[in-house]
Amino acid sequence: MELVFALGLIAFKVALLIAILLLLPLPLTWLERKIAGHMQQRMGPMRVGWHGLLQPVADGIKLLTKEDHIPAEADRFLFKLAPILALTPPFVVFVAIPFGESVSVLGAEITLYVSNMNVALLFVFAVIGIEVYGVIFGGWAANSKYAVLGSLRTCAQMISYEIPMGFAVIGVVMLAQSMSLLEIVRAQADVWNIVYQPVGFFVFFVAGLAEAQRIPFDLAEAEGDLGAGFHTEYSGIRFAFFMVSEYAIMLLVSVLSVILFFGGWNGVLIPLPPLLWFVLKVAFFLYVFMWFRFTFPRYRYDQLMAIGWKVLLPLSLANIIITGVAFL
Amino acid sequence: MSRAVDRSGTWIGWAFFADLGDALALTFSYMFSRSVTMQYPDQEKWLPYSRYRGHHFLKRDEEGEIKCVACELCARICPCDCIEVIPYEDEKGNRRPAKFEIDMARCLFCGLCEDACPADAIALGQQYEFSSFSSRDLVVGRDDLLGKPGKATTGGGVVAARLNTEQDVLVETSEPQGYDWWQNIRRT
Ligand code: SF4
Ligand code: SF4
Repeated sequence: MELVFALGLIAFKVALLIAILLLLPLPLTWLERKIAGHMQQRMGPMRVGWHGLLQPVADGIKLLTKEDHIPAEADRFLFKLAPILALTPPFVVFVAIPFGESVSVLGAEITLYVSNMNVALLFVFAVIGIEVYGVIFGGWAANSKYAVLGSLRTCAQMISYEIPMGFAVIGVVMLAQSMSLLEIVRAQADVWNIVYQPVGFFVFFVAGLAEAQRIPFDLAEAEGDLGAGFHTEYSGIRFAFFMVSEYAIMLLVSVLSVILFFGGWNGVLIPLPPLLWFVLKVAFFLYVFMWFRFTFPRYRYDQLMAIGWKVLLPLSLANIIITGVAFL
Repeated sequence: MSRAVDRSGTWIGWAFFADLGDALALTFSYMFSRSVTMQYPDQEKWLPYSRYRGHHFLKRDEEGEIKCVACELCARICPCDCIEVIPYEDEKGNRRPAKFEIDMARCLFCGLCEDACPADAIALGQQYEFSSFSSRDLVVGRDDLLGKPGKATTGGGVVAARLNTEQDVLVETSEPQGYDWWQNIRRT
């Protein structure tokens, strides 16, 4: 009986998580277009629903009813595999993410995470690395020059940001003495990690921008010079998969920033419910992503590699050394 | 702009990305400034200037007679060949157009017909909302042309308007003069 209950609870949590992750891109695209509009003194979508609130729904219906086109010269298997490969890892990763301490509902303790792994951080980085294959395969399989260029750039980009990103969080792991995200948040109950690890956060966030493929590092898409980059040849539902994956990763980087550096659900000054604190902080980071997107131009990809290897990597290494010395 | 250059010139500004910070502050302030979008046709519309070249209209003289003498010069000069004039002689012995048709679907609103007319009978007026579902409706005859609105006297403003779709699609407004749209543009 208890086993059934536990399994049912996990199934429910996973279903809830999937539903949230699939639906969240709707308000986020609306928000993104609104923010873009107002930063450029426009209004953004205004016609569908109140202030265009239903515009993402209309766009979604449009995408779902479009022809699902596969180019004649494409590698059909890889072409179909790529969107799935891009979509699944961001969803899988959220299994390891805690959203708060446990709450009690009807006398039963319910934890706000699907699983509390002791190597959650490692799991996150390992799984999210797979997403890049979706992007690379997608560009390669389409057999189009723009898509291939997008994929090539992704390869170059991946090598230069994933290493500093991995190193940047080591400082956090050293402070919390644990790789469990839950322990990391608990360790920040008094002082947030951003106080001890500003450099680590800087490196993590810049690498996170590259991970989420957002401006200023959206080289794989680069509307200006590559059409739409790796997903140039995708249409309909497969294109929607890439879009959802992109927003899920953006959410993931925001959530990780909050958990690793901004105290997770620990509040300051104002006593709000922990989950609300968490959501507010994540929302702030999502806004920052959009804010950056409509402020900065795009880096060239040799510049991105120079930033990755010559700035971020030494900074993250120095961060580890200084944290280590301070510990002794 | 100049501030960013000044501060990023020093190493401290360089190390803390003063220029990027200034850019972010700028876009943030823009986010809360007024948008310049003209909400046409639901809420606002633009009033054309008097020099605006919109839908043609035919003029009458003081006695209320049509001014056109059916010389067909406008039809001759029209680069799109979209005016058709057939003359006749009326009771007073004057040469007048029996048929005067302009195919608005082909017209490019160059205004050459207005320039060519020796009798100052045709001009391009202020009306610009006459889109239609059928290109046949865009062939406008003499009597319709006589009833079209003339040149604007004031213009350049943006006025409140309302979209009316009860019968035709009409953008209605009652105000004669609007506010200057350019005042919305931020010039910092
Ligand atoms: S405006 Fe130009 S194109 Fe139009 S009817 Fe006159 S001459 Fe022809
Ligand atoms: S409108 Fe003017 S140019 Fe054209 S036929 Fe009449 S008088 Fe001649």
